[in-house]
Amino acid sequence: MKVIETSNLSKHFGLGETRVSAVKNVSFEIEEGEFTAIIGPSGSGKTTLLHLIGGLDSPDEGDITLSGEKIAHMKGNQLSDFRRDHIGFIFQAYNLIPVLSAAENIEYIMMLQGIKKPERRRKVEEILETVGLTGLGDRRPAMLSGGQQQRVAVARAMVSKPDIILADEPTANLDSKTGMKLLEVMKELNREFKLTFVFSTHDEKIMNMATRLIHLRDGSIERDEQK
Amino acid sequence: MLYIELAWRNLFRNTRRTLLTCLLISTGLAVLIFADGAIRGMEKLMIGSVTKTLQGEAQINRLGFRDNFDVDLYIENPTTILGKLTEDERLSAYSLRVLSGGMIGSAYNSAGGVIYGINPEQEKEVSRIRDAISEGNYLSGKSRELLIGTTLADLLEVKLGDRIVLTAANVDTNELTQDLFRISGIFEFGAREFDEGFVFVNLSAAQKLLGMEGGIHQIVLQFKDPKTSRDNLSLSYQDLEDKEIEITGWLGLQPSIGAMLEYTNLGTAIIGGILFILISLGVINSLFMSIYERIYEFGVIRAIGTSRFEIISLVLVEAFFLGLLSAFLGLIVGLLFSYYYSINGLPLGEMEVSGIMLGNGNLYTELAPYQVIFLPLYVILLTLITAIYPAFFASRIVPTRALQRAL
Repeated sequence: MKVIETSNLSKHFGLGETRVSAVKNVSFEIEEGEFTAIIGPSGSGKTTLLHLIGGLDSPDEGDITLSGEKIAHMKGNQLSDFRRDHIGFIFQAYNLIPVLSAAENIEYIMMLQGIKKPERRRKVEEILETVGLTGLGDRRPAMLSGGQQQRVAVARAMVSKPDIILADEPTANLDSKTGMKLLEVMKELNREFKLTFVFSTHDEKIMNMATRLIHLRDGSIERDEQK
Repeated sequence: MLYIELAWRNLFRNTRRTLLTCLLISTGLAVLIFADGAIRGMEKLMIGSVTKTLQGEAQINRLGFRDNFDVDLYIENPTTILGKLTEDERLSAYSLRVLSGGMIGSAYNSAGGVIYGINPEQEKEVSRIRDAISEGNYLSGKSRELLIGTTLADLLEVKLGDRIVLTAANVDTNELTQDLFRISGIFEFGAREFDEGFVFVNLSAAQKLLGMEGGIHQIVLQFKDPKTSRDNLSLSYQDLEDKEIEITGWLGLQPSIGAMLEYTNLGTAIIGGILFILISLGVINSLFMSIYERIYEFGVIRAIGTSRFEIISLVLVEAFFLGLLSAFLGLIVGLLFSYYYSINGLPLGEMEVSGIMLGNGNLYTELAPYQVIFLPLYVILLTLITAIYPAFFASRIVPTRALQRAL
């Protein structure tokens, strides 16, 4: 089943002579359960493409279909709700809410979804166990290591049962050993729950683990490699 | 609940900034409570000094009498009026008076002044004449008793027990008439106009002197609730009024006090306005700093599905807690100050309004329930209103730009 479908996706920044095409005529499809990495040099358009797929930015041309719904022209609350229910995000700098505990950070998105508190708490316990953070739920982000914080971010991304998880350089701030452990957790989730992951990365560990590599150069797909 | 907890905890991310903002807002509220208490205290002091000294809260006179104090403009038969006044449950007391200009003479000197004929028992309830007696006794009802002011007594070189001859014009014939009195008491109001120009005798003696048996010039009214006399009295006594009689509340009797009260209300409004600006700037500054510090975080929570409305609510709940904390702190400080000065008073010095000394030279702040309820609510509401702009600003943060800026 296709989870993501993009056709002739383009995004430009600036005007006139300063106009830059960050993404140019990008078309691809991603099936459920894929572990895909979008790779390329800095400035190749990886993050912009990830933002377009995640509904954080709208394309100037082309279309994006996510879980059967066209999102390119969604606006406001419709788009917020769609992101909340269908997309999980993992960012480079963890981006947990510092005043909430690990458990509360995970709970936050379920609160937005209107899930009742006992149900939220039960799910949080389950997911903390899944990402290997049992017993650390009460800790604030500042009291967790970088790897643990990123695991909380993974847990937050998957707890809303999204159709896809988008991860922008998730291992960039981690040492290689911690980064490897985190990737193993994500790979396990991919295997066990058939969760679809799309990474934007430079990290060779992710490239090695990915089942598909989309090479970007100057905003266009240079090569689409199935492993 | 998590939402409320998040807002509460956000408030203490930068404790020093929050406390400084709280201090600014709470100082504003404390000043507002204290200033309001002082203004209300001054209002009460002014009204009390003016109405309780001699004038009363309201007066009934013959139409035109107050213009020139023409003695022949008197109420010949006050029976109907007194009947109505007796039925009026709003009244706590009233007193009948006769007053006329005249010559006040002793064996050594003479001076012009105002002769008041009063009913001693009734008068006790509506004026401070009895309390102002510094020597001798208040009127007991005996026909030749007279009370004289300290300054006038010095001028006439008289003391207790000395004789005083009052000369006035008969109200009907305009012929001069005289009578002899003995000084039974010397009073000191502390107001020059009273102490050097007024004498008080019994009502019947004054009526006899002026040839107006049973007639009176003035009825002074005192109400259970002093605010009653601020209302339109002529409407409430409509059936009493005819072309001959007028009823005037203290605002009408002392228009200058009314003007002063308007200035005090304007003063409260100005203080409120200044506080509005101060609090607004403080809250806007604090919230914007807090939002700018968290711009990446706002980008993230927008990205994971928080709606604009939820962001607005989050900032407003934070502002509400900020206002609530500040209101609590300001209320305690403001009430403590106001309570202290309501007991001990603020020294005013010798301040006179319309020739009347204000109280005992101290201003006592007035505590009122609305200061505890409405002023803190005003401050919380003000904080919330001020937070609307930063809240909308936060809700408009574009996730991609916020994420790029932070990286």
